[in-house]
Amino acid sequence: MSRRLAAVATALSALALAACGDEGAASGAHARVLAASSLHDVLPQIDPGARYSFAGSDALATQLREGAQADVYVAANRELPEQLQRDGVVDPPRVFAINRLVLIASKRSSIGAVADLRRRAVKLVIGAEGVPIGDYTRAALGRIGMTAALDRVVSEEDDVRGVATKVALGEADAGFVYATDVAAVADAVRTIELPARAQPRIEYAIAVVAGSPRRPAAEAFVRAVLGTGGRSALRSSGFELP
Amino acid sequence: MTRVFPVVLWLSLSLALSFLVLPLVALFVRITPADLLAALGSPEARAALRVSLVTSLTAHLFVLAIGTPAAYLLATRPFRGRALAIAFVELPLILPPAVAGIGLLAAFGRQGLLGEELAAFGVSLPFTQAAVVMAVVFVASPFYLRQAVAAFEAVDRELIDAARTLGASPAGTFARVALPLASGGLLAGSALAWARGLGEFGATIMFAGSLGGVTETLPLAIYSELDRNFDAAIAIGALLVCASAAVLLTAKLLPRWIRSSPTSPLHSATSI
Repeated sequence: MSRRLAAVATALSALALAACGDEGAASGAHARVLAASSLHDVLPQIDPGARYSFAGSDALATQLREGAQADVYVAANRELPEQLQRDGVVDPPRVFAINRLVLIASKRSSIGAVADLRRRAVKLVIGAEGVPIGDYTRAALGRIGMTAALDRVVSEEDDVRGVATKVALGEADAGFVYATDVAAVADAVRTIELPARAQPRIEYAIAVVAGSPRRPAAEAFVRAVLGTGGRSALRSSGFELP
Repeated sequence: MTRVFPVVLWLSLSLALSFLVLPLVALFVRITPADLLAALGSPEARAALRVSLVTSLTAHLFVLAIGTPAAYLLATRPFRGRALAIAFVELPLILPPAVAGIGLLAAFGRQGLLGEELAAFGVSLPFTQAAVVMAVVFVASPFYLRQAVAAFEAVDRELIDAARTLGASPAGTFARVALPLASGGLLAGSALAWARGLGEFGATIMFAGSLGGVTETLPLAIYSELDRNFDAAIAIGALLVCASAAVLLTAKLLPRWIRSSPTSPLHSATSI
């Protein structure tokens, strides 16, 4: 059933893409890039000329399966592009960046370590179950025997932005986000690193779309991301490199 | 040409109707009644239903108790700044709910305007059911207020004056003349406001967050189930469509029914 919804969503976005396509035809040399939302700030720094469509990696994968006209797929995990490669939708993907899970605490709170989440009065915000950030958070807490912290949860957000905002506003005391989400709220929060054994592996992978109508532009885009310019932009945005 | 015009009119109406009705029909086509009941029986859906009913009814009590006298004042006493007051009352109608949420945080959040004062009393509103109630009151009350002002304005001034001449106190006139005469419009506005409150999403998710059994209302549950269990999301959606349709129908029919009923308030009013 949800596949049918996805099909409808895909049809709509294909329509939107087609509509944009007309207007973009003149600048045909630029790649059309479907990329994970968390790359919203860094990719345009690497290639300001490309035409981007940012959304959840899984939604973008569905669009590609349904035949969306695009040149490059950039996902926030490696499973999705690997599945697409097996189905012949994209070329072999390459891991180009790594993200970390971190705890952010409002500067007004007294939280200084993950263990402080055991305190009774703490208001913790996390991602909902089924949302990647929420699943990473639960896995990480489980690995360090801190599932008790889940009793301090006052809200389960549907994306990582919701978590970051509520902590940055000081309404919640702490929340788990990706390291790359910290920059936007750095003024208002303290970042607390997780113990290494709690850290999940969060990889980003890039692949040229098999049916890319602008293959040279697509390959140039991938080279730019993997190259020195791309690497330094990624690093200064808080990503780690493989 | 004279034949073309009516065709254009009918065509436009059919287009508009099919566009507006199709998504609602689609909700029910996708799911069998058995699926619907099964999905609604899930603990998540039941918890969301409970949260929604508790918060929207609580909010509604506040809307009626404070909104009715406030609307009566706006409708019957000309005072300086009345137009401005009405404009402020109606503003939330057209405000994006997300703005309402930010505003509520900025006013009543821990770091908000009244945050310290509230904290001094040990009160922290965000992420509580009280926050859901406040969000619902904020977005839903204008629907009632607007309708209530119109309903009180429609009451024949002469009947009010007559009641006063015959010795009824202002409060008595309000309770025994204006209120019964306006009851049709008041009930219609009340139904609309409640339906709007039941569907409230944006302000709630910002101000109250979302936690199952505490602040996760039906619309919030739809949103989070969309990723996990599409059928459950559809089922909750179908339930909300039914509830909203029932409320709308009530709002449309009540004023007519009250006006035409033999125990019409008009009778009791004129027999004072």
